[in-house]
Amino acid sequence: MADHAFLRMEDIYKEFPGVVANDHIDLTVAGGEIHGLLGENGAGKSTLMKALYGLYTPDSGEIYLRGDRLELASPQDAIDAGIGMVHQHFKLIPRLTVAENVVLGQREPAAAFRADNGDSRLPETIRTNRVVQSLAKTFSLGLTAPEQRIQALADQYGFDIDVSARVADLDVGQQQRVEILKALYRDVDLLILDEPTAVLSPTEADRLFESLSRLADEGLSIIFITHKLGEVTAIADRVTVLREGRRVDTVPVAETTQADLAELMVGREVLFRIDKDDTAHGDPVLDATGIRAADDRGINALDSLDLTVREGEVVGIAGVSGNGQTELAEALAGIREMTGGDLRVNSTDLAGASPRAFVDAGISFVPEDRLQYGCAEELSVLHNAGMKAYREGRFADGPLLDYDELGSYAESLIEEFDIRGVSDVTDIDAGDLSGGNLQKLILARELDRDPDLLIANQPTRGVDVGAIEFIREAILEQREQGTGIVLLSEDLDEITDLSDRILVLYEGEFVYETTPEAADRERLGIEMTGGRVDDEPADAPEAVAPPAGAGSDTAEPGDSAEATDSTTDVAAAGDGD
Amino acid sequence: MVRIDLTAREHVPRWLGYATPVVTVLLALACGGIALLALGVSPLAAYWTMFGETLLSTFGRTQTLIKAVPLILAGLAVYLPLRAGLFNIGAEGQLVFGAVAGAWIGLNVNLPGVLLLPLMFVAAGAAGAFLAGIPAWLRARWDVNEIITSLLLTFVALQIQSYLVRGPMQDPTGNFPHTAQLSAAATIPEAIFNVHAGLVVAIAAVAVTYVGVRKTALGFEITFVGANDAAARQAGMSRVKIYLLVFVIGGAFAGLAGISEIAGLQGRLRAGFEPGYGFTAIPIALLGRSSAVNVMLAGLFFALLFVGGSSMSVAYGVPAALVEILQALIILFLITAEFFKRYQVDIEFDRAASASTGGEA
Repeated sequence: MADHAFLRMEDIYKEFPGVVANDHIDLTVAGGEIHGLLGENGAGKSTLMKALYGLYTPDSGEIYLRGDRLELASPQDAIDAGIGMVHQHFKLIPRLTVAENVVLGQREPAAAFRADNGDSRLPETIRTNRVVQSLAKTFSLGLTAPEQRIQALADQYGFDIDVSARVADLDVGQQQRVEILKALYRDVDLLILDEPTAVLSPTEADRLFESLSRLADEGLSIIFITHKLGEVTAIADRVTVLREGRRVDTVPVAETTQADLAELMVGREVLFRIDKDDTAHGDPVLDATGIRAADDRGINALDSLDLTVREGEVVGIAGVSGNGQTELAEALAGIREMTGGDLRVNSTDLAGASPRAFVDAGISFVPEDRLQYGCAEELSVLHNAGMKAYREGRFADGPLLDYDELGSYAESLIEEFDIRGVSDVTDIDAGDLSGGNLQKLILARELDRDPDLLIANQPTRGVDVGAIEFIREAILEQREQGTGIVLLSEDLDEITDLSDRILVLYEGEFVYETTPEAADRERLGIEMTGGRVDDEPADAPEAVAPPAGAGSDTAEPGDSAEATDSTTDVAAAGDGD
Repeated sequence: MVRIDLTAREHVPRWLGYATPVVTVLLALACGGIALLALGVSPLAAYWTMFGETLLSTFGRTQTLIKAVPLILAGLAVYLPLRAGLFNIGAEGQLVFGAVAGAWIGLNVNLPGVLLLPLMFVAAGAAGAFLAGIPAWLRARWDVNEIITSLLLTFVALQIQSYLVRGPMQDPTGNFPHTAQLSAAATIPEAIFNVHAGLVVAIAAVAVTYVGVRKTALGFEITFVGANDAAARQAGMSRVKIYLLVFVIGGAFAGLAGISEIAGLQGRLRAGFEPGYGFTAIPIALLGRSSAVNVMLAGLFFALLFVGGSSMSVAYGVPAALVEILQALIILFLITAEFFKRYQVDIEFDRAASASTGGEA
């Protein structure tokens, strides 16, 4: 293996303020290999690849390509060495054609030259200029020669693309192929793909895999960043798993199972074990059927979800981010327009209602991005504490708003939730608080309303250890008050510790339902990453392709919902307060 | 190699917030002083005439207060949307619209002054509010940039005024581009300090704005929408409502500024009757952005610049344009000061690079 190590990254160490993103990582890729790079968000995959593409300089460690040590100061160095990268967000100019995009930057002076002038309409003086001539020499290819070459490349690898089409007119899958063409046109031997399927539909993804296999057959090495297990087992030869900046293991795909990979990727020490009391689940507070919503780009992110949450029930929604969590949380909180479906909270119909109606219906929301939806950074703690409560009668002082009362309200929240760093509620701004204290303030505000339904999206993300425990306990306390809770989290421990029922959200659908008691971390990990439950090792991509008996193993979400509901119904009937 | 590092300030020190407007004005005056020196005038003497003598004479104080009326009202017209995070660049047009509507009522409605004047004010406010409502609605509903729409509507308003005073509203007895003289009933009487009652209206507007923004639930919403409209929306506040409200009320204030200038001072509507109060309102609102009372102070200061500036130019024979230059300098320094308030600038002389290459060689 060592002799045909085409790429060798040795002992890569990269530290950002406060975080070690890459902690002495080794990685080898053979010629013609498709190498999967697997890990959760923040595991260090992108950092490692950016170091390889010259976007970051590692603090220590060495990179060898074909045995030669590389000094990569910029992507240009990487391209010169034969390394190409396709970013998750395409770097294409929509108004230019495929060919123009591909040659862009390849011969920098030529591109500028062409952009300013038609190629034959230059005045004599400029054309005879020596510098310009040398530029023109590069440019004299015009677009015809590159176009032919690009078309030949596209045909060679079975890319169905018209090189003279405008990029704006192409669909996402085609745009991605243009990105790959850009790399191929630069004669790269190693292609890095950063979560290439994130933007693709399943069929487009299949086409991409076909193309990648063909490229690998031609001798190209490919590094494929992903957090979806199914993709790794489908096309990779070997896979390196990263977790929290460290390399956990590198294994040949043929000798592993998705379950093993899930454990390598997700498995981590349990921080807390919270004992939660059994509570009776009452009537449904949230009853959502067939809800759909689009993401910010207008692409459908939620595919007809049904969700029922009862009083005193925590429904944990597990999943890797980007599978519709944000959209689901925002739709339930009323700040993202649903494109379909019915939403009832305490039998109030909220489909298409204003955010205000959602607030008035007793829904509280802890958003995943504290600074975007959770608070106004530049306003005082008083303002942020009273963000929803200011309408209440107790703060009215005739026609005026009783700021003194709001101040004591904010102070009471601070005391109750042990929010630190607030010496004066009117003087300290929300933006001055640490992440954990700000999150506590938001949670305090949302819980103090004694909501009927709480939507908490990643409530402990980026929060310090002490606050995590506090927040989790506060959520459980609220559950005992009879609040129905939807908890969205990427942290499996959080989900299993707090939930009464667990749903796995993958690509906008609930693909799996279980209870914490019955939950199996590995199974959850596999479901979260779109893997299939399969006891046999996945030996070769084509062998696992037909999902023969795997489907029957997966519980229909509806079925198990019935099962859990029936038991809770009995409990609710006996405890009717 | 000189390296300049810009870091966004995480926290703006309190003293910086207070010091900015003062230092801004002082620096602008210092720069203006250079121009005065170049003209052979002592800056100290000139500034004494401009500020000291104006403030010490009764005439100067009265003139300053009269000038301040439209400036304060128009300043509020910019200030209020600014609280909600919007820029009303069209106070000028709203002011003109108010003047036109108020003057039309004053010329065509026959009522005793007690009824006529309030009616003129209402009409002026409504006209200003209407013109301001258009950009607000476009912004709230369709996210059309309110800076551009409010500015462009100003030109529409100016052209309409120009047409009216040369056409339907022209004084039938003459050939000048102005209306007939307003009747005594349609003229705002003197109220306090020898200044017409427009001053009372302006002070009332400041009080209403101050209380509205600082003390009411609506003001809470305006502040929140201005600070983070996404969070405000999540909390159930209506952006459409707030955007419309701040612009409509602001536009109404600008309209009041227009009619009080016409009915309180000039007596008739002339083409180009006012020297850009609506545009001067922008630096006034920026200077006084922290509260309506500060807007009033900034309005008084700019009034003093106008009045004192003209006495200075008369007394020392310096061009009147110098006063405009001073104003422009204040605005420039103000914008620069905002930058320094937000960013910390570190200038580094980077010798390390050359030293290390030397070491390696």
